[in-house]
Amino acid sequence: MTLSLGLTSVVHATEGVALSSQESASRRLEIVAPFDIKGADPLLSGILFQRMQVVETLVDVDAKGELRPGLATDWTVTDDGLEWRFTMRADVHFHDGSLLTAEVARQALEIARGKPGLLKSVPVEEILAQDDASTGKATLVIHLSEPFAALPAYLADYRQQILAPSAYDDSGTALAVIGTGPYRMMSMSPPLSLEVAAFVDYWGEQPDIRRARYQAVSRAEGRALMTESGDADFTYSLDPASRQRLRDSPRVSLASAPTPRTLLLKVNANHAAFNSSDVRRALSLAIDRTAIAQVVLRYPEGASQLFPPMIEGWHNAALPALHQDVIKARELLEADGWQVGEDGIRHKGDQRLAVTLITFSDRPELPLVATVLERQFHAIGIATRLDITNFSAIPAGHHDGSLELALFARNLALVPDPIGTLLSDYAGTVEAPGGDWGAMGWHDVDFSAELARMAREGHAASDNGRDPRREASRVLQDALPVIPIAWYYQNLAISNRLESAQVDPWERSFGLSDLRWAP
Amino acid sequence: MNISSRLLQLVMVVLMVGGASFLMMQSLPGDASWRIAAGRYGYDALDAAAAASVRAEMGMEASGGLSFLYWLGDILRLELGTSLITGEPVWNEIRHQLGNSLSLAGAALGLSFLIGPPLGLLAGLRAGGLLDRSLLAICSLLRAIPQFLLALVLILLIAVEMGLLPAAGHGEAKHFILPALTLALGLAAVSARLARDAMAAVTQTAFHDFARWKGLSNAQTFWRHGLRHVALPLVTYLGLQFVTLVEGVVVIESIFGWPGIGHALVHAIFSRDVPMVQGTALVLGIGFVVINLLVDLLGRQLDPRGVK
Amino acid sequence: MNVLERVSVRHAPQAISRPRWPLRRVIGASLVGSLVSLALLGLWILPGDPLEQHLYLALQGMHATYADGNLASAPLGYDHLGRSLYHRLVAALGLSLSIAAGAVICATLAGISLGVLAAGRGGWVERLLTLVADSLLALPGLLLVLMVSVILPSTPVALWLGLSLVLWVEFFRLSRATGRSALASPGIEASRLLGFGVLYRFRHHLWPTMAPVMLTAMAFGMANALMAIAALGFVHVGIPEPTPELGTMMVELLPYWREAPLALLTPVLVTFLLLLGLLLMSGGDAKASTAGNIAGARA
Repeated sequence: MTLSLGLTSVVHATEGVALSSQESASRRLEIVAPFDIKGADPLLSGILFQRMQVVETLVDVDAKGELRPGLATDWTVTDDGLEWRFTMRADVHFHDGSLLTAEVARQALEIARGKPGLLKSVPVEEILAQDDASTGKATLVIHLSEPFAALPAYLADYRQQILAPSAYDDSGTALAVIGTGPYRMMSMSPPLSLEVAAFVDYWGEQPDIRRARYQAVSRAEGRALMTESGDADFTYSLDPASRQRLRDSPRVSLASAPTPRTLLLKVNANHAAFNSSDVRRALSLAIDRTAIAQVVLRYPEGASQLFPPMIEGWHNAALPALHQDVIKARELLEADGWQVGEDGIRHKGDQRLAVTLITFSDRPELPLVATVLERQFHAIGIATRLDITNFSAIPAGHHDGSLELALFARNLALVPDPIGTLLSDYAGTVEAPGGDWGAMGWHDVDFSAELARMAREGHAASDNGRDPRREASRVLQDALPVIPIAWYYQNLAISNRLESAQVDPWERSFGLSDLRWAP
Repeated sequence: MNISSRLLQLVMVVLMVGGASFLMMQSLPGDASWRIAAGRYGYDALDAAAAASVRAEMGMEASGGLSFLYWLGDILRLELGTSLITGEPVWNEIRHQLGNSLSLAGAALGLSFLIGPPLGLLAGLRAGGLLDRSLLAICSLLRAIPQFLLALVLILLIAVEMGLLPAAGHGEAKHFILPALTLALGLAAVSARLARDAMAAVTQTAFHDFARWKGLSNAQTFWRHGLRHVALPLVTYLGLQFVTLVEGVVVIESIFGWPGIGHALVHAIFSRDVPMVQGTALVLGIGFVVINLLVDLLGRQLDPRGVK
Repeated sequence: MNVLERVSVRHAPQAISRPRWPLRRVIGASLVGSLVSLALLGLWILPGDPLEQHLYLALQGMHATYADGNLASAPLGYDHLGRSLYHRLVAALGLSLSIAAGAVICATLAGISLGVLAAGRGGWVERLLTLVADSLLALPGLLLVLMVSVILPSTPVALWLGLSLVLWVEFFRLSRATGRSALASPGIEASRLLGFGVLYRFRHHLWPTMAPVMLTAMAFGMANALMAIAALGFVHVGIPEPTPELGTMMVELLPYWREAPLALLTPVLVTFLLLLGLLLMSGGDAKASTAGNIAGARA
C-alpha cells in the first residue's frame, strides 16, 4: 500500500550517484513532525527513535503489513505453540561498538516486559538466551504458558526495541539511545530537536542520506509554513488546508497513503440511552460522513466500517456501508421511546437526551469533527456538550464510568497485527468489558472467545470456511460499540531536492534510509 | 523601593507561586496520574496500566493536610524536584530552556533599542512634526495588534512570500531574526513613545534653552544634557519590559517552535507537570524582582537627586 | 502587547488637558461604540444562528447560495464549517467584551476598595496590601491566568477570574496613590467632622479626583484583557468550541489564509479596531507618561 511519489524515476547513472554521494556528505536533511522528544527511554519517545531508524526490533513489518525479519532472521514455533525460537542476526553492532547477542536482546525484552505496554498481556513464562560462542549462532527462546500466535507481531512494537546494555541505568530506564539502526544519535536536545548521522557499521545497506535533523513543531500551520519557506525537506502530518495550499508549491511534492487509523466515536453502552444498539445505530445514521470527510478532513470518502480497506483480511467488503439517514435515525429514537420535547431535545420520562462528548486538540481535526457532530446530533434531538480537554480524560472516564461519548483517532495496528488492538479494545471480561480506547459497557462472550482464539491459534479460516477476521468486523458493525467516522491518511510533503520518497502506512518509519538526494 | 522591601517581595513571590502550584496539584481535574501518563506516553500507548505505574511511582494516594508545609519547605530550599514527564531534574530543564529564552529576549531587547529610542528621539526633537505624528500613528497601530498576529503577518510576508528567512525553527543565527523582530516591534512601539515624550520635555526645559543659548550645537546639547534625562525613563521601563518579554515569549515561542521556557511552560501546563510549572514560574518571578532591583540601582546612578 | 503590560497608567491631571487627545478619544470612543452596538444589535438586525452549519458552503463568500437558490443570509460569507461569519463575529464580540468588561469592573471594584482602604488605614494594612500587589506584579500575568484556568475548567468564569486577579493590581496602585493625597485634603477632613459616612466621602471627594485616571485605566485594562483572551484562545486554553471567540476564530481560520483570506481578515480586523479604539480612548500613549510617574513614585 505504499505510494511512490510522482517524481522522476530514479535513474542511477554512475555520475549521478557519484555527484550525490559527494554532495550528500555535506547536506543535512531537515525533518519536521509534530512529536515532542520526551527522553531516551523507549517508553517515552521510542516510537520517534524507531521512525528515525536509530533503533530496531527483532521483527519488522513491510509496506503491506506482513512481518519480515528484523534483528531476528527467522523464527519458529513448536507444535504445541508454547516455545518460540528466534534466530538472531549475526554481526550486528550497536552504535557504541558492542555486539548484539541473544543475551543482550533478552535483557532488553525483560526490561520492556517490566514496564507498561502490550507485552504485559502476552503469556510469557520465561525468555532464554542461547549464545553459542563456537559457531556464533545465537537464538532467543521464549516460553509461553499458553499458545499465542501473534507473538512475533508484538515483538515488532516500538516498545520492544533492542538497545545496548550500556543504554540502561540500574532501574532499567534508558538514559541514552544506543541502537542498531542505520542511523546513530549525534545529539538530542529535548523537547524539540535531535540530529542523526549514518552509522558506518550498520549491518544492512548504507543510506544515501548521511545526516538528518529532526525538529518537533507542534502546530500544523507552523509545519506547513516551514515546508513552504523551504526550511523543511520532509514534513510529516500535514493538515487538510495546508495540503490544499502546498499542492501549488514549486518546492515540494505531496504524498499520501492510507494508514491503519480510524476516527471513531466511543459510546458508553451503560448509558440509559446508548445501551440499545438501535440508539447507537441512530447516532451512526445521524452522521454525514461524506461531508465530514470532504469538507473537514478533505479526504475522498468517509468510513463505511471500522477497518479501512488497507487492512486486508479485516476489512469486510461485503458489509453494508455505514451511511446517513436522518429520518431513519429519528424513527429509531421514537421507537425506543425518546420523544421530542419543547426545546427540540428528546426525552424519555423525565430523562433528557443530553450527553457530553469528550475530545482533545492534539489532533487538530478532532475538535472540528466534534463541532460538526454536535450539530448533526442536535438535528435528531440529542443535545451534546463538547468537552475539549486532555486526552487522558477518555481512559480515565472509561474507568470511572463517567464517559458518555468520546471522539478520537485510534491506531488499529498498534502491533502490526490488528488482533492486538482488538484484544485490548473490544474483548475484556464480563466484569470489565471493552478497553480504554474501545468498547465501553458492551460485551459479547462469543466474540471475546473468538478473539482469544485468534490470538492463540492465528486467524486461519475456521471449519465452516469463513474468515474469522471478516466475521469479527461483521460483529462490530452490527453491534456498533464504537461508531467509525473516517479512515485516516498519512500526508507528507517532500522537498523536490529528494527523490524516491515513500510513505510508510504503518507509521513505523520516516523512510530516511530509502531517500536519495535528487541529482 | 529599598533593598529590604525587594527581599520581602522575593519571599512573597516564592510563597505565592508555591501556593498556586500546590493548589494546582490539589485541584487537578481528574486523576493526576492519568494526565502525567498521558504526557509521557501519548494517546496510542496510554492505558490503565500506564496510569497505574505512574501512580505507584509517585505514591500519589498519599496527600494530607501537612503536605503543603513539606511542599513549602522544599521550595524554600529551592528543591524543585523532577519533571513528572521526563524525569529530569527541573533545574536542568530550566537551565537549558532559560538560556534559549534569554538569548531570544536579549536579541529582541537589543533590536527594540535600535529601532525605538532613536526614532523617538528624532520625533521628540521636533514635537508635532511629520515624523512625530506618523510615529504616533504607527505606534498606536502596532500596539493594537496582538503579538501572535504580528508574528503571523511577519512569517507570511518575510518567510513565505519573500522567502528571505526561515519561518520557524532554531539553531542558527537566522532563526533569531523573525521571533526577535516580532517581540522587538511591540517593545519599540513603547520605547519610541517614551523617548519621544522625554525628549520633547527636555527640549522645553530651561537648561536645554540655556545650553542652546550658550552656543552648543544640537548634537552637543543632546549628548551633554538631553541623553541622561531621556535615559532615566527608558531604563526604568526596561524592568517592566522584562515581564512583557516573558509573556510575549510564551506565545512567540509556541509559534516559532523555539525551545525556550515559554514553550516549556505551556507544555507543562497542558500535561499538568506541576514541578515544571512551579519551577518556571519561580525562576521568572525571582528574575523579575532581581531585575527591578538592578534597575532601581541603575536609576539611582542616573538620577542621584532622589537619594538622601 | 499583553496582559502583563500592567504598567501603571498614572496620568498626571495636567496630561489629560493636552490639546490633541480629545479628537483621538472621540475616534476611539466611536470605534468602540460601533463595535459594542454591533455586538448588542447584530442579531436583531440580521437574525441567525452562529452555530448553524452548512458544510458544503464552507469558506464561500457572501454570494454563496443555498441549493434552492435563495441568497444566503450571511453577509460576510462562511467559515470553514459553513457557519455564518457575521453571526459568529457578533457572538464572539459579545462574549469577549463581556468577559473583558466583567474582569475590568471586578478588578476596579476590588482595586479601588483595597486601594482606598490601604490609603485610609496606612500602617501594616497598607504595607501588606502593597506587598501582595507588588508580588503579583512580579508574576507573568499570562501565567496567572493559565494557572487559574488549570485549577478551574476552561470556562468564561475561569478567564474572568484569572483576568480580574491580574488587573486589580493596577487599580489598587492608582487609587492608593490618588487616595493618599485626597484623604489628606482639608475638604475630606471637614466632611468627616460633619459626620458624613464613608460612602458619601468617597462619592464626593475621592471619586471626582480619581475618575479621569480610573476611566483611562479601565479602557487600557479592557484592551489588555481582550488581548489576553485572544492570546489564550490562540494557545488553545481559551473558550471551548463551538462557542465563538475572537482569538479562537483566528486560530480556526488561520490554516485557510490563502484559500479564504477575507474570512481570516474579519476577526483580525475587528480585534484590531476594538483594541485600537480602546487604546485611543485610554490616551494611546498612556505608557509614555508611565515611566516618569514610576520614577517619581519611587522618590
